[in-house]
Amino acid sequence: MAKRFMLVSLVFILLLSACSGGGNNTENATRHTDNGNSSTNVSGEKEATEDESKEQADPFGKYAETITLNYGKEVDPTDKSLPEGDTPENNQYSRYIKEVLNIDTKVTWQAASGTNYDQKVNLAISSNDLPDALIVKDSQLRAMVKAGQLADLTEAFEKYASPSVKKFMEKTNGVSQKSVTFDGKMYAIPSIQVQSDGVHQMWIRKDWLDKLGLEAPKTIEDLEKVARAFVEQDPDDNGKDDTIGIAGQQNGGRLYANFLESTNNTYGLDPIFGAYQSYPGFWLKNESGEAVYGSILPETKEALAKLRDMYANGLIDRELGIRKSASETVTDGKAGIFFGPWWMGYGPLPDAIKNNPEANWQAYLLPLDADGEFNAHMGAPSTLFVVVRKGYEHPEAVIKMLNLLVRDESTFDISVPIGHYPLRVPMSYTDESEYSAQALREVLAGTKTAADFTDPGYKLLAADIANIKKVKKEPYDNLDIEYWDPKADEGTWKRAYSLLVGSSSLTQDYNKIYSVLYSQTKTMESRWTNLKKLEDETFLKIIMGAAPIDDFDKFVEDWKRQGGDIITKEVQEHVK
Amino acid sequence: MRNQSFTKHYYIMLLPGFIWLLLISIIPMFGIVIAFQDFNPGKGFFQSEWVGLDNFEYMFALNDTPVIFFNTVFIAVMKMIGNLIVPLIFAIMLNELRMMIVKRWIQTIVYLPHFLSWVILSGILLDVFSYTGPINTVMTFIGLDPILFFARADLFPFIIVASDVWKEFGFNTIIYLAALTSINPSLYEAAAIDGAARLRRMWHVTLPGLRTTIVLLAVLSLGNVLNAGFDQIFNLYNPLVYSTGDIIDTWVYREGLLNMQYGLATAVGLLKSVVSFILIIVSYQLASRFANYRIF
Amino acid sequence: MLRENTWRAKLFDLTLLIVLLLIAFLCLLPLWYTLAVSLSEKSAAAAGRVWLWPVGLNFNSYKQIMGDGSFFNSFWISIQRVVLGASVTFFITTLMAYPLSRSTKEFRMRNVCMWILVFTLLFNGGLIPWYMTIKELGLYDTIWGLVLGGGVPVFNVILIVNFFRNLPKELDEAALVDGAGPWRMLLTLYIPLAVPVLATVTLFTIVYHWNEFFHGLVLTSGQENYPLQTLIQQFVVVINTANMTEDQYKRMSELSNQTLNAAKIFIAMVPVLIIYPFLQRFFIHGITLGSVKE
Repeated sequence: MAKRFMLVSLVFILLLSACSGGGNNTENATRHTDNGNSSTNVSGEKEATEDESKEQADPFGKYAETITLNYGKEVDPTDKSLPEGDTPENNQYSRYIKEVLNIDTKVTWQAASGTNYDQKVNLAISSNDLPDALIVKDSQLRAMVKAGQLADLTEAFEKYASPSVKKFMEKTNGVSQKSVTFDGKMYAIPSIQVQSDGVHQMWIRKDWLDKLGLEAPKTIEDLEKVARAFVEQDPDDNGKDDTIGIAGQQNGGRLYANFLESTNNTYGLDPIFGAYQSYPGFWLKNESGEAVYGSILPETKEALAKLRDMYANGLIDRELGIRKSASETVTDGKAGIFFGPWWMGYGPLPDAIKNNPEANWQAYLLPLDADGEFNAHMGAPSTLFVVVRKGYEHPEAVIKMLNLLVRDESTFDISVPIGHYPLRVPMSYTDESEYSAQALREVLAGTKTAADFTDPGYKLLAADIANIKKVKKEPYDNLDIEYWDPKADEGTWKRAYSLLVGSSSLTQDYNKIYSVLYSQTKTMESRWTNLKKLEDETFLKIIMGAAPIDDFDKFVEDWKRQGGDIITKEVQEHVK
Repeated sequence: MRNQSFTKHYYIMLLPGFIWLLLISIIPMFGIVIAFQDFNPGKGFFQSEWVGLDNFEYMFALNDTPVIFFNTVFIAVMKMIGNLIVPLIFAIMLNELRMMIVKRWIQTIVYLPHFLSWVILSGILLDVFSYTGPINTVMTFIGLDPILFFARADLFPFIIVASDVWKEFGFNTIIYLAALTSINPSLYEAAAIDGAARLRRMWHVTLPGLRTTIVLLAVLSLGNVLNAGFDQIFNLYNPLVYSTGDIIDTWVYREGLLNMQYGLATAVGLLKSVVSFILIIVSYQLASRFANYRIF
Repeated sequence: MLRENTWRAKLFDLTLLIVLLLIAFLCLLPLWYTLAVSLSEKSAAAAGRVWLWPVGLNFNSYKQIMGDGSFFNSFWISIQRVVLGASVTFFITTLMAYPLSRSTKEFRMRNVCMWILVFTLLFNGGLIPWYMTIKELGLYDTIWGLVLGGGVPVFNVILIVNFFRNLPKELDEAALVDGAGPWRMLLTLYIPLAVPVLATVTLFTIVYHWNEFFHGLVLTSGQENYPLQTLIQQFVVVINTANMTEDQYKRMSELSNQTLNAAKIFIAMVPVLIIYPFLQRFFIHGITLGSVKE
């Protein structure tokens, strides 16, 4: 009995291994003989592709026969906007694609965006059970390239991408292209995010400033004075000693954005580092053109020393790094200052204002450095990628779908969120927020009208302009909270407030510092976790007084020794 | 004689379970080979490059490895002890209670924290121990200085263990209560007749009656000697407490965030399994040699 | 039960009662807090203003979770999963436990089988091979995948085995004299006597199947096939801000909605609150030698 069991299971195991491993061997062989002739396609298609390469490839070309595209989809479980009978698989967007391009998009599986979707993707990658196309993030893209699971899109992109799509990529000065190119080949189509996501500003309670007779702090010294006033002078008028000067990260948050997670760090302390021209977590080029890691530079030590001082003086939230929720300090009206990107109007401000209608949160590109300039480290332009599995017969289908999206997005009825469009990655002009903010100001001032803004690349602008007066009261040039009407249309208000208050300042001059690298090198795969742990531990301890400032020097030594030097050399190679 | 015919029946009884076991638990074990490979999903299990013990070497070569292992074992062992003893005491106490309705309600209520996920519980704990939270309020009231609890690496493991015991003691209590019902009541009567008071009866009748269950649960919990509780620690730790709070699983998780470390995660899992298995075998042998008792 | 009327005994009882009630109260507090949060207004919860009483009492999060058709669809899937899971598990684990509780004299392979079980408790190949196996077996997107995916609950089996082993040998001998074979012994003798432990493991199984959400996510293709906890868990998923898109900003206020998270906990506890008191009837006292007491 037992023996027969063994036999059966042995056979089973062999069968399973054959299924999982065998099928991809042929693909691996062809990858290396690729010479740009779409030879990765299944051989039966050879004739068809040769024909196509003869004629001019049409970026919007409708397929003669319906083709099927299976993909995994990220969905928003709270979204109720689909009309009766429509599903994430079958809706106005999927039907449009079918009509115009004759592509039948099928959802193999769907999952809620965030960790659920991530897990499904990771599982699909690890078990080699991939749909035809997917949207993935950087670490997943690299894993898939390494595993040889992706189709080479170089040629398809060259031939089929529309001029608009190519223009989006060009606007990033080659950074996007680099992020999807491995060994000279393009394996994904990158998203192009707005650059404003990476710029962290100072959000401050202007009503407190007014009450205490203060101005928005320009230098670090000013910041300290204002923070102290916020802490000591009871600006919320409740007789209790419960106000916080500067809010900081919560338990599990980031002290500053780093090169791998370079955007949207709310409640961090990024601008304070920037005021010392310190960019911890980023890879920079020094004067000699060599790559260096921002966290080990002397400027960072200076910034840390100042932060340590500020913390000891009670100007920064005492529970930095251990508080349950940083947003609570804002929504509960306890904090006077916090740092974050432009879109705070989406959250936490709505709740903060609901709890406290006079909370007048304004945003500034402050504090300034010793030269009177604002320094912002910038985020990666591409954080999401569309990939196609190796062996799929029509990789250009994905490109055509994106072309269509970019061309026609402004004509869609967006009561059904654009996220339902199959395989949609954001493709925006990197300056979309600033441009829109400027446009809105001009429209409100009466110097321009909607007709002046016709570039369809700014997709939401028409709607923004049409709706702005619903939520903005006169005088239009005063952005204080009393001249807004959030209740009139909460959705519009969130975006309008974020744009006008959060993005307006971005039209000023400021220094943009880019990381030379937004992804990993080889040795990072094995060493980075440890180095990062060292960095996080040391810096937080120094700031909170649990370690002396000179521990920084020991950190630099340890960092270099435990892999930092090797990695720096690799980054240097990459930069060349 | 009777054994042979019964044996056939025993096999039949075991059959459905073992088929289920084979299909779902045993066959997937082939995946353990990943621990010895540089696993490439594109190539599958049998064509990925074999790297022998590299994954294990990597784990042990890091500076932090001794600290991480120590943290893991320290926290896990304390949890094991806490989760063994506290429910036992509680179950015995509850068993002594006479009011059935109250007893049932208490039984149900103490099981409920088990259902609170660590995501929500961590939020509650962070709030309760916050600088202006209830615990510190009480402390200032009685004249002590408030403490930044979660900034303290020295206090962290104890907060972890205590909150975990609080959350899970209801679970083991149920098991003990069920076992208590199988203690022959006449034994209690006999002891009472012999003049034993309440506490004495507990010591001489109740505890011995629970002996096999206690030993069983203790040995089974050895299977978790390297599981210090990822969910809980992940939601509660921060860089200030890494020195006592970073455990094997949180470290593996951070590695996995950067890139998909299949080989490493499986190697770690395998290591945990081997250590647990050895411990269980050893305790089994000890019990059978010295106490002549087969735990299972 | 033994009754003593001395004041010492009464004092003992009273102290006991107070201590137990205190502990129960301590266990109840966070739950109470969670309930209060789930019934509070979103902004108030976001500001941390809720302690033990709802602020801005409303049932919005419950409405949101239960408000659409998918809730009841998933509810039904969970019911199926629990019923099938509890029955299949009960049947198989009890069957397995009987032969394993025999001594090595009666059943030679007993130790081998037992150690195989313990082995599977400790060793496993990880998520990927398990997932691939389930798919190969055709269990993806089926209710049976959810029911069987967790594998044999070895811990439960060991509990039952332990209980069986502790039953007096005299019962066995008496039954054998009566000419009973293993099936009759199991069905008429062991199962009725093991009611407390069987109730216990059934409770564990029910709770497991009701609350399990991860298999519900990876073994299904989408919401139509989600069991309840998987459906609800979607609402409280964490988004990494570093990869956000504009649509996701819009969800920010939803995502930080603590009231939803809290409401989800309560829906998870419902079956326990209903079933556990019912099952407690089986945690009864005593067997007496030579007879079976109900």
